[in-house]
Amino acid sequence: MKMFSVAHKTAFVVDHCPYMAESSRQQVECDVLTKSRAQGVIPLAPVSKSLWTCAVECSMEYCRILYDVYPLNKLINYIVSDSEFHILNTWRQEDQSTHELMSALAAVGPPNPREDPECCSVLHGLVAAVESLCKLTELQHEQRTVLMDTAERVANRGRIICLTNAKSDTHVRMLEDCIQETLMDQNKLAAGSDRLMAIQQCELVLVHIFPMGEDALVSDRPKKEISPLLTSEVHSVRAGRHLATKLNILVQQHFDLASTTITNIPMKVRQRLCGPQPVQLGFWMICFIEPPMGNVGVTEVQDNSGLKETVTLKWCTPRTNSVELHYCTGAYRISPTDVNSRPSSCLTNFLLNGRSVLLEQPRKSGSKVISHMLSSHGGEIFLHVLNSTRSTLEDPPSISEGCGGRVTDYRITDFGEFMRENRLTPVAETAPNPGGRFPADRAKAQLERYTRYWPMIISQTTIFNMQAVVPLANLIVKEALSEEDVLTCQKTVYNLVDMERKNDPLPISTVGSRGKGPKRDEQYRIMWNELETLVKTHAAGSERHQRVLDCIVACRSKPPEEEERKKRGRKREDREERPDKNGTKEPEDRAWQDSERLKGALEKEEQESEVIKDSPDSPEPLNKKPRLAIEEVQPSEKAKGPVSLLALWTNRITVANSRKHQEFAGRTSSVNNKAELYQHLKDDNGWVKVTC
Amino acid sequence: MPTVVVMDVSLSMTRPVSLESSEEFQRKNLAVHGLTMLFEHMAANYRLEFTSLVAFSSLWELLVPFTRDYNTLQEALSNLEDYDKTCIESALNGVSNVVQQEWGSSCPCQVVLVTDGSLGIGKGSLRHSLQTLKQRADDKKFPLPFPFPTKMFIMCVANSEELQTTDAMDNLEELLRLSGGDGQIFTMEGQLCLKSVQAMFGRLIDQAYSPFHAVLHCGNLSSDVQVFPRPEPVVVDDEVDPMPRVVNTEAEDVSTGAAEEPEEEVSASQMAGKSPNFCVLLHGSLKVEGMVALVQLGPDWYGMLYSQADSKKKSNLMMSLFEPGPEPLPWLGKVAHLGPISEAAENPYGEDDSKSPFPVQPSIKRSYAQNVTVWIKASGLQTDVQKILRNARKLPEKTQTFYKELNRLRKAALAFGFRELLKGVGDLLERECTLLPDSAHPDAAFQLSHAAKQLRLASAGDSQYAAFDQNIAPMHTDFSS
Repeated sequence: MKMFSVAHKTAFVVDHCPYMAESSRQQVECDVLTKSRAQGVIPLAPVSKSLWTCAVECSMEYCRILYDVYPLNKLINYIVSDSEFHILNTWRQEDQSTHELMSALAAVGPPNPREDPECCSVLHGLVAAVESLCKLTELQHEQRTVLMDTAERVANRGRIICLTNAKSDTHVRMLEDCIQETLMDQNKLAAGSDRLMAIQQCELVLVHIFPMGEDALVSDRPKKEISPLLTSEVHSVRAGRHLATKLNILVQQHFDLASTTITNIPMKVRQRLCGPQPVQLGFWMICFIEPPMGNVGVTEVQDNSGLKETVTLKWCTPRTNSVELHYCTGAYRISPTDVNSRPSSCLTNFLLNGRSVLLEQPRKSGSKVISHMLSSHGGEIFLHVLNSTRSTLEDPPSISEGCGGRVTDYRITDFGEFMRENRLTPVAETAPNPGGRFPADRAKAQLERYTRYWPMIISQTTIFNMQAVVPLANLIVKEALSEEDVLTCQKTVYNLVDMERKNDPLPISTVGSRGKGPKRDEQYRIMWNELETLVKTHAAGSERHQRVLDCIVACRSKPPEEEERKKRGRKREDREERPDKNGTKEPEDRAWQDSERLKGALEKEEQESEVIKDSPDSPEPLNKKPRLAIEEVQPSEKAKGPVSLLALWTNRITVANSRKHQEFAGRTSSVNNKAELYQHLKDDNGWVKVTC
Repeated sequence: MPTVVVMDVSLSMTRPVSLESSEEFQRKNLAVHGLTMLFEHMAANYRLEFTSLVAFSSLWELLVPFTRDYNTLQEALSNLEDYDKTCIESALNGVSNVVQQEWGSSCPCQVVLVTDGSLGIGKGSLRHSLQTLKQRADDKKFPLPFPFPTKMFIMCVANSEELQTTDAMDNLEELLRLSGGDGQIFTMEGQLCLKSVQAMFGRLIDQAYSPFHAVLHCGNLSSDVQVFPRPEPVVVDDEVDPMPRVVNTEAEDVSTGAAEEPEEEVSASQMAGKSPNFCVLLHGSLKVEGMVALVQLGPDWYGMLYSQADSKKKSNLMMSLFEPGPEPLPWLGKVAHLGPISEAAENPYGEDDSKSPFPVQPSIKRSYAQNVTVWIKASGLQTDVQKILRNARKLPEKTQTFYKELNRLRKAALAFGFRELLKGVGDLLERECTLLPDSAHPDAAFQLSHAAKQLRLASAGDSQYAAFDQNIAPMHTDFSS
C-alpha cells in the first residue's frame, strides 16, 4: 500500500438528523433471567438501538480494528452532521483513538427527534469532509518538508464513508453531485494555499441504513467513476448486525486485511477460555500473503459474503522454551474479531502476559508445518510469520574458518563490557537534542570515542590488563571531564609512577615472545607508551583531557636527555647496518629499539601482533639456555602453528594471578620458570642460576 | 538468493555456429561454456548460494537439485543430451514447482533462462502461450508471475539482429514483463563465438552475481565483510521516494540489548589470516553476552547482528535486515531516538542487568489490552448487564466492582447515544432493590436506588448528568453509628 493511498485519510460522516433517532427495530433482550429467580419477576422489556446507535457502534468497531492493526498513519476524521456539521477530531495522530472519539460522541449525544428536519442534512457533513480531506496530515506535512523541491510528489487522496439514511437513488445522486462540486471548489481553493492540498482522488462509500422490516429505498451500486477525481459506491444495509458485517467487510477491503481463524485450541486452554465447546477465534491482520510483484493474474479468493477467505491456523502446544529464536520473516499486528468475547480476551491476556503460541498451517497434502507464532511485544500482539521451508542460510561456515578465526586471545570479556556500556535506550522524542544531534548520533559519537584506542587481543595490550589503569581508562573516553575526573586520572598516573618506583611487575604478555620477554624497566616503557597513545587520542577533546596527557608526559620516567641519547643510538645503529646476532650489543639499547618500534606500531594502530611476539630480533637471552628447554615451552611457536591450549591457559592464569597479587619479581622476568638472581652481578663477572 | 538455471536442450540448440575456424561449435556448446564460467564464478565468490539446474525441451527435468556443490552442476552440464522442441511454459511450470518445493513462496529466487531465441512452434511455443494468456482456465494458468519474488535473466545464445528478424525479442520482453519486470534479457554482441558468450555471461555476473563487500564499522574498529546473500536495493514507496534505495557499503554498528529474529548472513571471506579481526571479536562477545548489535545499512535502513549457531560446533555472525524505515521494530521505538545509556540519569538496564528499557510501550493501548465495550452482538450487551446485576446482588461487599461496571456501561451507552439502555438498566436496578431479601444490608438498597437515579438522570440527556468523563460515585453512607 502506498504511503498516501486513499487509505491514509478516511473521513467518517455520520448522519445525526432526527430520522436517525428512529429505532432499528432489532431488539436486544438484556434482562436474561436465571431460572431460580424467574418466578414472579416481570422481565424488563427488550431494548432496541436507534439507527444512530447502530451507525456509531459499527463505525467505532471499524476504527477499533483499524487502530489495532495500523496504529500509525491511517487516519480517521469523524464528522457528525445535522443542521450543521460537528468535527469530532482532527487528522493529528494524538486524536486517533477510540476513546477520544467516544468521548466526543457522548458530547454530541443522540439525534434530537424534535429538531426541524428541514434544516438538517448529511450534506453539511459531506462538505466538511471534503474540506477536511484538503487539510494536511502530519505525515503529509513532514514529507513535503523533507522533499522540498519535489513536494508535489506527496499525494492527497482520501475516502469518505458516509453512514446515512437516504431518501432515494435520486437523493444519493444529489449527494454525489454535491461532493463533486465541493471537490472542484476546494481544489481551486487549495491551489492557492500552502496549508491546503488539492485532492487527487476521493472515494465515496455511501452506506444507507434502514430499520429492520422496511424496504430499502436505495439500491446497492458497485463502485463507479463519477469524475476522474471521484468514485462512488452505495451499500444499502439493514441496521443491526447486517451493518456490522458490512463495515467489517469494508475495513477489510479498505486496508487489505487478512483474516485468520485459530482452531484446535487444546482442551486445557480451551476450558479455561470458554468451556468445553470447540473454539474458533478470528483475527484481523494486515494481509501478509503479499501478491508477487506485477500483481498480474492474482485474484483474491472471496466467499459469498464478500469476505476474503480466512486462513485457518491450528494451535500447537506452546513450548515453554521461549528463548529459542525462530527464523521470522515478518510480524503483523492483529485485532481480534470479537474483542471482548471470553475466548478472545482469554487468549489475548495469555499472550499479553508474555506467553507465545505456535500455529501450524494445514497443507493441501495433509502435512502440517509450524508457520506462525502469536506473541506480544510491549503490549501489542503480533502474528509472526516463521520460515517453514528450507532456509537458504543452512549450514553456514564457522566464523573460525574466516579471517582472524584462528586468533585465540581476543578480549571477549572486555568487549562484552564495552558493549554493555554502549547499550542503547529509547530517548523521548521530546527530550532536547544538544547540538541538534539525534540520540543515535550521540551514541555513534560515543562509540567513536570509546574505540579510539582499543586493542582487540590481550597480547597486544598492557594497560587494559592492569587493574591500576582502569579508573583512567574509564574516564578518559568521556566527552567532558570534570575537575574531579582529572584528579582521578592524575592519581592513577601517580599510582603508576609509584608502582614503577617500587618495581612492581606488569602483566605483559609473554605468550609468543621467545626468551624471557622484556625487562622490567622496558615493560614500564611499553606501558607508558601505550598509556600515552590512549590519552593522546583524546587530548584534543578538551583542555582537561590535555591536562591528563600533560601529567603522563611529565611523570613518565623518560628523562629527555636519555631519549636523545636513545635516538642518537638508534640512528647510529641503523647506519651500522645490522649488528651480529650474538648479543654483543648492549641489551638495553636493543630493547629500547623494540619498544620504540612497538610505540610506533601502536600509534599507527597497527594490529599485527607479531610485532611483539614474533619479531625475529627480539632480545635473545644473553645466556643461552639449553635448546631443549626452550622448545618444551614454546614448541607451537617454533612450529608457527596456533597457540596451544596449555600456553593459552597458562597465560590466562598468569594474567589473572598477576592482578591479584604482587608478582614475585623474579618470576615475571623468568625464563622457563627459572629466574636470574643478582642480575646486576653479571655485568661484573658472573651469574648465579636458581630454579624457583 | 538461490538460482535456478533453466537450460534449453531442444534440437535448435544443436545448430552449428558458422565460424571460419576449423572447430565447429554448436550453440549448446557456447551456452555450456557460458554457464561453466558462471558456475566457476559462483564457486569462487558465492560459495554459500544454492543453485539448481533444470533442462527443458517439450518436457522438463530437474538435473541437479539445489546445491552448493558446483562440481555436480558442471558435471551435469557436460552430460546434456539433445531433445525435441522448445516449450518455455512447461519449463517455467517446472521452475515454479522446484522452487516452491524447496524454498516455499516467500524466498526470492533468480532464474537464469538459457535459450537460443528460437522459442518453439505451434502449441507449446512461447508465442502460442502468450497469445492464449487470457483464455486460460484456473488450473492451467501461465506460471508467471511466480508466487515467489523473482529476478529473471534471459540469456540468448543469439545476437539481437537474429532475434529481431522474428518476434522472439518481443515475446521474451513480454515474458520478462510478466515475471514482474525485475531482470534483464542478454543477447550476444557480434559474432557467435566463445569470446562473445563470455562477454555476455560477464555482463550477467556484473549485474547479478557481483559479490557484496562491505565494511563493518563500530566507531574506529572495523572489518571488511562479505555478505551472503547479497542485500538487494529496496524500492520503499514509489510515490514519495521513487529511487531504489541503494545499500551503502558503509555499515555502522551500534550495540543494543534487545533480541529478536534472523534472516541473512555475513561471512568473512576466506583468508587464513591470523591477524585479529573485529568480526570475530564482535561475534565472540555477542555470543557470550547473549546480545545483538544494531547495524545501520543506509539512511533509515537497519538490521541486527548476532551470533547464530547452526550446529553446536559452528556459529557465525549473522545479519538480519529489517524493513527499511525509521521504526522497523515498533517495540524498539524510532532507531534515531535510541541514545547511549551514559546519558540517562540512571542505568535503564539496572546496575545488575535486572531490567530493560525495552519493549517500548505504545502510547495508546490496543483494544484487546484496554477492556473496550463492544455491543455489536447481543451477547456482549447481555454479559455487561448481567455483570452489573451480579454485583448488585452482592452489595455492599462489591460496591467498587459494581460501580466500575456500571460506569463502563454508562460511558459506552452515552457514546453510542443509547439512552434507552441507561433507562432500562436504571429500571433493572430499581427492581433489584425491591427484590432485596430482608437480610440484606441496608446500604445495598441505598446504593441501588442511588445508582438507578443517576442512570435515569443521565438517560434524560441533562448535560450535568450525561458527561462522558464523569463517573457515578458510590453514595456516601455511614452505618457505623
